[in-house]
Amino acid sequence: MLRLPAVGRALAGASRSKVSLATSSNVRTSVRALSNMVEVFVDGKPVMVEPGTTVLQACEKVGVQIPRFCYHERLSVAGNCRMCLVEIERAPKVTCSPKEPYGLWNLCAFTILSIYFLHTPVAACAMPVMKGWNILTNSEKTRKAREGVMEFLLANHPLDCPICDQGGECDLQDQSLMFGSDRSRFTEGKRAVEDKNIGPLIKTIMTRCIQCTRCVRFASEIAGVQDLGTTGRGNSMQIGTYVEKMFMSELSGNVIDVCPVGALTSKPYAFTARPWETRKTESVDVLDAVGSNIVVSTRGGEVMRVLPRLNEDVNEEWISDKTRFAYDGLKRQRLTQPMMKDATGQLVPTFWEDVLTHVAGVLQSVQGSEVAAIVGGMADAESLVALKDLLNKLDSELLCTEESFPVAGAGTDLRSNYLLNTRIAGIEECDLLLLIGTNPRYEAPLFNARIRKSWLHNELQVSLVGHKVDLSYSYNHLGDSTRVLQEIAAGTHPYCQVLAQAKRPVVVVGSSCLQRADSGAIFSAVSMIAKNARITSGVQDGWKVLNVLHRLASQVAALDLGYKPGIEAIRKNPPKVLFLLGADAGCITRTDLPKNCFIIYQGHHGDVGAPMADIILPGAAYTEKNATYVNTEGRAQQTRVAVRAHAHVIRTAVAGAPLPYDTLEEVRKRLAEVAPNLIHYDDVEEANFFQQAHELSKAVSQSLLADPLIPPQLSVKDFYMTDSISRASQTMAKCVKAVTEGAGAVEEPAIC
Amino acid sequence: MLSCVGCPVLSRVLSTGAFRFPAVASGTARAAAAASTSITTSSCMALVRHNSTAQQDQPKKTKFGPLSDQDRIFTNLYGRHDWRLKGALSRGDWYKTKEILDKGVDWILNEIKVSGLRGRGGAGFPTGMKWGFMNKPSDGRPKYLVVNADEGEPGTCKDREIMRHDPHKLVEGCLVAGRAMGARAAYIYIRGEFYNESSNLQVAINEAYGAGLIGKNACGSGYDFDVFVVRGAGAYICGEETALIESIEGKQGKPRLKPPFPADVGVFGCPTTVANVETVSVAPTICRRGGTWFASFGRERNSGTKLFNISGHVNHPCTVEEEMSIPMKELIERHAGGVRGGWENLLCVIPGGSSTPLIPRHVCEDVMMDFDALIQAQSGLGTAALIVMDKSTDVIRAIARLIEFYKHESCGQCTPCREGVDWMNNMMWRFVKGDAREAEIDMIWELSKQIEGHTICALGDGAAWPVQGLIRHFRPIMESRIAQFQQKQQARV
Amino acid sequence: MAEYVNVLRRAVSQITGHGGVRGLFLQFFRVNDMKTGALVGIDKYGNKYYEDNRYFFGRHRWVIYTTEMNGKRTLWDVDGSMVPPEWHRWLHCMTDDPPTTHPPEPKKFLAKVHQINVSGTKDCYVPYSTTPKKIHEWVPKVGQ
Repeated sequence: MLRLPAVGRALAGASRSKVSLATSSNVRTSVRALSNMVEVFVDGKPVMVEPGTTVLQACEKVGVQIPRFCYHERLSVAGNCRMCLVEIERAPKVTCSPKEPYGLWNLCAFTILSIYFLHTPVAACAMPVMKGWNILTNSEKTRKAREGVMEFLLANHPLDCPICDQGGECDLQDQSLMFGSDRSRFTEGKRAVEDKNIGPLIKTIMTRCIQCTRCVRFASEIAGVQDLGTTGRGNSMQIGTYVEKMFMSELSGNVIDVCPVGALTSKPYAFTARPWETRKTESVDVLDAVGSNIVVSTRGGEVMRVLPRLNEDVNEEWISDKTRFAYDGLKRQRLTQPMMKDATGQLVPTFWEDVLTHVAGVLQSVQGSEVAAIVGGMADAESLVALKDLLNKLDSELLCTEESFPVAGAGTDLRSNYLLNTRIAGIEECDLLLLIGTNPRYEAPLFNARIRKSWLHNELQVSLVGHKVDLSYSYNHLGDSTRVLQEIAAGTHPYCQVLAQAKRPVVVVGSSCLQRADSGAIFSAVSMIAKNARITSGVQDGWKVLNVLHRLASQVAALDLGYKPGIEAIRKNPPKVLFLLGADAGCITRTDLPKNCFIIYQGHHGDVGAPMADIILPGAAYTEKNATYVNTEGRAQQTRVAVRAHAHVIRTAVAGAPLPYDTLEEVRKRLAEVAPNLIHYDDVEEANFFQQAHELSKAVSQSLLADPLIPPQLSVKDFYMTDSISRASQTMAKCVKAVTEGAGAVEEPAIC
Repeated sequence: MLSCVGCPVLSRVLSTGAFRFPAVASGTARAAAAASTSITTSSCMALVRHNSTAQQDQPKKTKFGPLSDQDRIFTNLYGRHDWRLKGALSRGDWYKTKEILDKGVDWILNEIKVSGLRGRGGAGFPTGMKWGFMNKPSDGRPKYLVVNADEGEPGTCKDREIMRHDPHKLVEGCLVAGRAMGARAAYIYIRGEFYNESSNLQVAINEAYGAGLIGKNACGSGYDFDVFVVRGAGAYICGEETALIESIEGKQGKPRLKPPFPADVGVFGCPTTVANVETVSVAPTICRRGGTWFASFGRERNSGTKLFNISGHVNHPCTVEEEMSIPMKELIERHAGGVRGGWENLLCVIPGGSSTPLIPRHVCEDVMMDFDALIQAQSGLGTAALIVMDKSTDVIRAIARLIEFYKHESCGQCTPCREGVDWMNNMMWRFVKGDAREAEIDMIWELSKQIEGHTICALGDGAAWPVQGLIRHFRPIMESRIAQFQQKQQARV
Repeated sequence: MAEYVNVLRRAVSQITGHGGVRGLFLQFFRVNDMKTGALVGIDKYGNKYYEDNRYFFGRHRWVIYTTEMNGKRTLWDVDGSMVPPEWHRWLHCMTDDPPTTHPPEPKKFLAKVHQINVSGTKDCYVPYSTTPKKIHEWVPKVGQ
């Protein structure tokens, strides 16, 4: 409904004189010539802005913040709160451009009349500036208009700030202090609205709602679900889900941030902390491979909540529900002290000294080649390099990741083979996207949000080879069999003609379909498709077509450091000592290993890996350490200590053959030696070896299996619990229950 | 008034009282300086020139009305004749429509401009200018004419008469107006409650299709034009032009932000002009009889004939076509049989549908029924629906009831209207009882000022003005009501 | 002269009363005091209760603890709570009748075996926390 081609074209055609649905800040537009700029004045200060800029954006440009409730720069303009009203002072002289008489003409007719002759205040968020306007942001009339709107907003707003979770970070509080009146004249009865149960994540107190419709617009535009809407009219207008149901989106938690008042708050966070008593730590999420930037709010050594942090290149200002709400998994099922199997085979807590000497003894008692390691999805680069150095010192090369990747052809030797080369933000520039064997909506929700954004605003064409899933936007489903892949690679599939017409094509293959036995063949087919698309589109070398979408936060760093993808090597050479670094995917079990194999598990959760270990070394989770993670684009980012936890990895002393570093700085120095890109934080190292990789992939002589390409996460209930942290989270368990049995099935404390 | 508020700008002009409308102002230096865009200037100069020539030919008119029968446009207003195609043809509809169409866009637009026709929906925006907006070079999108037949304004019943008794006037008007703006089709958005009217209209459209008057090669002019009827669901707000567009598109009827204006992005994202039924219906007659004929009625800049609806405390409530600028007193006495109990019994009149401020009797004495005169009287012509109230009326209660209507019909989208009208409604009902303080009269005045001009559409303004009119003219009544209530309270104590 | 003889006699009695020089030193190091008096009784754990009314009130009754009680070695690690309740009242002069002459009435609530105070040991009582745990640790399943 949002994506009306006619509207899009209309807006594109007339964008010079109008607000486009998408604000200019989020859709990348080419830089306009300076000569096109329009001069306006903000409180008398001149500023040059692009034509079509709104009054509010022009004010922002000179650093004047206009109060607003309904306006959100990533959502369409609603203009209904009327808080941003400003007075416009008549221009001394308006001239109409002779080249484009009509664009201006329409505006002239109505707006100029109303603004110039009546001095009606205008809604700054929606009104495009005109040449020579003087925007009065603090005039008597402007202030009066704001005060009036503020009074109306507060008329039916309950005075429950002391028990409101938004208190302290509430736009309404702040702006009523700044722009409101100092006393109330409202003596009538207040309106009350019934609360709605929209799932276990979002708590609604609808009486507090000021009907800004930000949440409605977020749901329909960004999340792509039409669950929220308004019912009723006038003073009895309500925001809701029409019928009682769950707000079923993987991005639903963002409406909590988007809500300017306390109408939508976090249910797990309800009544637990106040914003001013928490300590905020900037960090990075590791529950998927996107590496969303987050802020961890902690109080007294406890994570109270997780909020998104702005990063235009990765997550913009959204995070997925798993990122936001799985934090309670960090407090449950934790490994808090070292454990060792006693004589009866039962794991019992012991002391670090005992455990470490025992481990050292075991490691020294075996041949170096009989030691192997498997790393899981949440291992940081520092641990990875330390573990690798340790095993290399013991003369072992058996270091594997849980997640597999085809090693035939170029394999992981060429970095561009296993990265999301186009980058997440690059999706906004492409015009055709082919997804292969992936469900980005649940494997990388923010990547999917980016695709949706591009689909919505840039007319991106999306096609999918793989199981038909709901991606929150329409796409061309080409089928789920591998034969389709083969046909596209061979150029016989009708889709090839579409592909050939693309100017900036992007092919994304999901890591989940590379777990299959025929991954090599799939990858070489994908490589072939990408190469053909590159040739037919004629893009320059800087544009990258082939992309891999990973699911695990550690995978790219592990491959960068030279880990072997997949555990085939370990299956072939069963080791005597196996080191599991947070390996919780269950890809190896006791039955795969010799009886006397000694398993050391290091990690933070007692999940799948820990029960089969002989020795457990507790480690720190991502909120508890300063560590480096590399996302699927190859972007190195740091987490920071939010909560002081137990001892960090002390592997250096374990083997009796000490590694040459003790501190974090020294480990990072070592990282820089091995893979310098890992410490170039917040930057993506370019990798462009597609030609060579393709040549090598020709050598692959594997045949495709007939099985359809089905990613493991198909619907939203598969999304919530995918790793050791989210599996330990009660909130996520509630989500799964609510999704399967309905929002009413989840019992909540009466206070909520 | 909302049923036809084409342009909030002018509605606001109406409200302010301090009015100078430059686009049609007769060449004062001030107006020329103000409307200094080249296009605006040239087009209004054109308008002004034609108007003034018309005026120069004959001496300035001083007497307006009564309208002679041969000058009536709506000759079947009372349904005494056949409303179908045959009857319509006999009344002169569809006469030489092909020739009108063949004269071309510029000729039609020029006739409309010369006629000085102003939008009949309430705001009174010059129709020729508005239709002219559509004639910019096409970008490939079709253009549409949307006819606003969502006549929901309390007191107004003019469009209804047209649609049930003279539907062919509207259909023909759609064709002529559509031709003038190069529209591909017309959507007639008709109020849901008008069941018979929509039925008659549909019959008329079917007849016109059958006779080849509209549809492919309409009237043999080589021009393709379709007319569709869309029935609303009965929300007053859907009479606002952008809300109407939303409603046609199948969305909630909530006004859109402007800009972009419908002339740029209207129904289904295409350029659209929304025009009132009456405006569209008079267009063929204007083209047939000439713009100067139409301009010969009424005062300068308020020319033409107009349907007036007179309701309330009069002896014979009626809808009548009259010349613009007819004095209100004459209108009431000639056509409605006078005020119940005589002119002396008149308390006040709401001159233009419920959203215009009321005017008391001493103003009614000599006010003329046209846009400018009523604005000078701090009210507005609106839809020219006079609601007459005699001295038996509890005027506070009448206004409170109107505010309750607006409270019920507010769409709830933007804050001042949603919260403010509800608040005013609560206060007004207290004023009816007198359960208030005198200071609250000033407060509700201020509240109405906080709503007015701060909303997306004109409904907020329409809700604010009746209260302002009440306070402006009947403050002593409100005060005495409060005093009475307080006395009663004290007596009880 | 007789005083000196008396002193000498008491010095000798200290040695004899404690079982020789070794006993004297043991006593000195265990209780930091050297006193001899009449042995009033020995409880079933082996604590010996003495009385000597020549001392000032409050110092005239004392106990020499046993060296092992309830399986605990108490040669050096002695504790006041080793005194069972029936002797406690005599020792603290609540009564002048030692349990030897006036055995306590058997009561149901009286412990059969007297328990030493466990404060400060690993068996001591710790009140449960009323705040929720910040971190719930993983407990391995039994039998894995």
